[in-house]
Amino acid sequence: MFTAEYLKELDKIKVKYEQPRAALLPILHCVQEKEGLITPEAEANIAAYLGIPVVHVHEVVSFYHLFHQEKIGKCHFSVCQTTACALRGSEEIIEYIQQRLNIKPGETTPDGKFSFGLVECLGACEIAPIMQCNKDYIGVLDKKKIDELIAKNS
Amino acid sequence: MEKIVTKRFGQPNSHLLATYLKDNGYEAARKAITQMTPAAVIDEVKKSNLRGLGGAGFPTGMKWSFIPQANPKPKFLVINGDEGEPGTFKDKYIFELDPHALLEGIIITCFAIGSHKAYIYIRGEYVKSLDRVQAAVDEAYKGRYLGRGIMGTSFDIDVVVHPGAGAYICGEETALLESLEGKKGFPRLKPPFPAVIGLFGCPTVINNVETIACVGPIINKGAEWYAKLGSEKNGGNRLFCVSGHVVKPGVYELPNGTTLREIIYDHAGGIPNGRKLKAVIPGGISAPILTPDQLDVKMDFDSLKAIGSMAGSGGIIVMDDSTDMVWAAMIAARFFAHESCGQCSPCREGSGWVYRNVKRLYHGHAHESDLKNLPGIVNNIGGNTICAFGDAVSMSVGSYVSKFRGEFEAKINKRTHAESNH
Amino acid sequence: MPNLIIDGKQVEVPAGTTIIQAADKLGIDIPRYCYHPALPVSGNCRICMVEVEKQPKLQIACYTPVTDGMVVKTNSPKVLEVRKTVLEFLLVNHPVDCPVCDQAGECKLQDYYMDHGQYDSRLGDVKVKKEKKAFSIGPTVMLDQERCILCTRCVRFADTISKTSEFGVFSRGDHSQLDVYPGKQLDNNYSGNVVDICPVGALTDTDFRFKCRVWYLSKTKSVCPGCSMGCNITVEWDKMRPHQHKKARVMRLKPRHNPEVNDYWICDKGRYNYKFIDENRIQHPQFNNDLISWDRAIDTIAEALKNLKDLKRTNRIGVIASAQLTNEDLFVIRKFFKENLKGAQVDFRVPQKAGDKDDFLMKADKNPNTAGALNILQPDVDAATIIQKARAGEIDLLYVFGQDLATQFGKEALYQISKNVKLFVYQGSNVNDTCGYAHLNLPSSVYAEKEGTFTNCQNKVQRIWPAFAPMAEAKGDWEILSLLSAKLGTPLTYQHSPEIFKDIAATFPAFSEMTYDKISDKGMILKV
Repeated sequence: MFTAEYLKELDKIKVKYEQPRAALLPILHCVQEKEGLITPEAEANIAAYLGIPVVHVHEVVSFYHLFHQEKIGKCHFSVCQTTACALRGSEEIIEYIQQRLNIKPGETTPDGKFSFGLVECLGACEIAPIMQCNKDYIGVLDKKKIDELIAKNS
Repeated sequence: MEKIVTKRFGQPNSHLLATYLKDNGYEAARKAITQMTPAAVIDEVKKSNLRGLGGAGFPTGMKWSFIPQANPKPKFLVINGDEGEPGTFKDKYIFELDPHALLEGIIITCFAIGSHKAYIYIRGEYVKSLDRVQAAVDEAYKGRYLGRGIMGTSFDIDVVVHPGAGAYICGEETALLESLEGKKGFPRLKPPFPAVIGLFGCPTVINNVETIACVGPIINKGAEWYAKLGSEKNGGNRLFCVSGHVVKPGVYELPNGTTLREIIYDHAGGIPNGRKLKAVIPGGISAPILTPDQLDVKMDFDSLKAIGSMAGSGGIIVMDDSTDMVWAAMIAARFFAHESCGQCSPCREGSGWVYRNVKRLYHGHAHESDLKNLPGIVNNIGGNTICAFGDAVSMSVGSYVSKFRGEFEAKINKRTHAESNH
Repeated sequence: MPNLIIDGKQVEVPAGTTIIQAADKLGIDIPRYCYHPALPVSGNCRICMVEVEKQPKLQIACYTPVTDGMVVKTNSPKVLEVRKTVLEFLLVNHPVDCPVCDQAGECKLQDYYMDHGQYDSRLGDVKVKKEKKAFSIGPTVMLDQERCILCTRCVRFADTISKTSEFGVFSRGDHSQLDVYPGKQLDNNYSGNVVDICPVGALTDTDFRFKCRVWYLSKTKSVCPGCSMGCNITVEWDKMRPHQHKKARVMRLKPRHNPEVNDYWICDKGRYNYKFIDENRIQHPQFNNDLISWDRAIDTIAEALKNLKDLKRTNRIGVIASAQLTNEDLFVIRKFFKENLKGAQVDFRVPQKAGDKDDFLMKADKNPNTAGALNILQPDVDAATIIQKARAGEIDLLYVFGQDLATQFGKEALYQISKNVKLFVYQGSNVNDTCGYAHLNLPSSVYAEKEGTFTNCQNKVQRIWPAFAPMAEAKGDWEILSLLSAKLGTPLTYQHSPEIFKDIAATFPAFSEMTYDKISDKGMILKV
């Protein structure tokens, strides 16, 4: 799985840390960036590369919310449901997204274009209600903005 | 009021090195390294009454002095940029708009504690922050502000930007260390404290982003100047984050000790739509909720502690009188249930139990004994856990129940136990 | 060395000792789940919290080091209250499976609940469901994720003791699940130990599943006969209800703590090697195809021996002893054959396949008493020679103790021996291929039916105790020789094993300081 080029990239990350295991999170990000998700094959290769038992790699993957073990939609909405966003209408937004995409939180549309999940505070309460659409923070959401996002990514 | 941390925020390209250098950028670092001793730097920060702005409010200079200088192991500085406390979004601005201020603070801090390696841990969702800070680090290396023999001195320092991956608990300093070391964010048993055994088993200082961003100005303008701003034992300004039911949510740099009323009404524009204030969280979701009669509290660590709450992360969330407080309690409880790391039994089982209990109350599926038991269950979590997360659950959720008891009682399902027990 | 007081009792311990270790020294049992003396401290269960004078908050005993002058209370009202609290939290999502859970009767949730709580549940919600219930994670262990209290003992065992890292805790919060790595099995040499250390019924033994309620079990100390390590064990048996177990008595073996031998552990081979105690036993003396009485069996052998003695042809007696026998058995063999029947050729060293070994507990020598046999029999001829002579017709009486010669030397050799030896006696506990070739088969005891000693690879002499009487008509090995001795007119005076051991100690300098009492249940090393 790890070609020479791939390994060069990983080596650049690993060399920054005093202990190889510390490179695990940035390496998982790197691999997920390329593959879209973390597969058992990736876990085995990363474990071997860092010299740690594969079960502990899997623990990390399952613990942190940003790592996906299954393919998500091309456009993934992470909608915040915590207090500040809830006070400014996140529940209606969540309801609306469910309606428009016809999927529940944690699901992906059959065509693989959209998925969405509920997350806790994203640290942008000043533009609540907000979501992270793939990497972008999109705030002061309303039904119109949701319609635009869906149209743009269909 | 003199702006310190937000000084350059409004400038175009404030994040670039060129902009920073135009404003005496890195001069404080040069001063510290070439004109002061590490002990003198620590002393200056102690005198400034700078206190940790991540939430705990621990005196920063004192924390630095705990590093055992005689210990032969390498020392580390770790910047806590996990910013996950609901209601808090200030560090994001420092990352995106003035990363060099953070880097300069890092240099001075490392010099003070004898460290030559700093890690900046940034929550994984803050993609723009990660990019901006990495770009700033790259600029700084190019400009010889980081690396071997910086700024023509003999001081070496390396900085690594490190991403988190979506776990609030990694904001707890020992959980952050675990995460940095490539493990799950499980807080460690203490003692030993990170100052003695921290990152990779070495003496480590962990400080919040904003705290370190204040260090440069303190060295430039002196501890006395900084201490005079703010409250008696809480020097300087603070970035208050205001959100929820206000006209102008955003970051407001104000002196420590400004009243909550002033922040909400004079700066954040007050409550919109003609509504009245019903409740306000003063320092991130972990802080016990306050009622309108408490608005004149001074926003500093000691004053808020005195009224049974906390200054915490400076995250102020305002709730108007349309807010159902049982609903608000449920959201807080849900947050804690989702973010509990699961390591120790009272928090792992208790946070989920409390959430389900409050949820049933909110939906009208609970009866008298549930409400009678709730405060006891909530209280049992705090004080019995490995880290302060358990205490936060107790204090936070407990405060809704105690201050808005009436609303909870109104939700009780008066039917018999057998009927309503789901 | 720090001196402290726990519950009013004083104790002095080395610096660095934790409160729970100091309490254990005093015999004060502070409740614990995640703490285990052989594993790194985790501090996650929180049930060991105790009150330390001058400290405002309760401290976990498993992690807090003692200080000189420390005063600890393990039973104050505050402490008892917190224990109830922790128990309540642990029971929130724990399925009350007791009626169908093997752990019942030796479950720490049950035990501490009975000691501290017996309160009514305040839970008004449905319990969190987890993925795997009654799920086989390998050939010997079953996992129930809902019963798991996430103490992580098994994870730490797999990381630090077996060093095989199968286990992890995945996800977080109250959805945390203990599991093996997806697709991986728990199948190492020490898998069964995780069942011992699991404080609840999350990890259970497949072999023991639904077999017997633990309150029916009697427990007897012994030593595993599987290899020269001599891991200390407890034989756990149910003799009260043979109808439940098709007449089997032993239900399971458990490792017994011995810090100098096996610590808390035992290999899977040793753990599951108990069925032979009850299955496939030789139950009655048999001459060719006929079952005969012990009297007739003894007479037959005595007559042959007397004959050879009178004719001064004791050199035509061949004895193949065994390193599976106890020191006491071997001493009597030595006395009977080497001293009283001078000239008899005695050895025990048969060709054996090198067994599995590892760098932990498993040894290649699959006998529990090789050191004992060497020290006591001091053979001057080797078994292969004896067998060769037997094949060639130069042995008139071949007496074999428990060795499966047919497997070791081949069936052709046994056929020849059977033809050319006048009297071929096989004295053993279990049926094997050799029995068919022997003229006379005598049923003897297994280790679990004996009192005696083994000497392990560390030269440590360890005691075994009899759990129950020999099966059917079987007798102890030295007891059979005693009967023979009496018949030959040279009776041995031994009634019980301690008397034999006394003679061993008097005869061999290496054993000279030893008595059964001194050996106790921890063992004693031979003097070199």
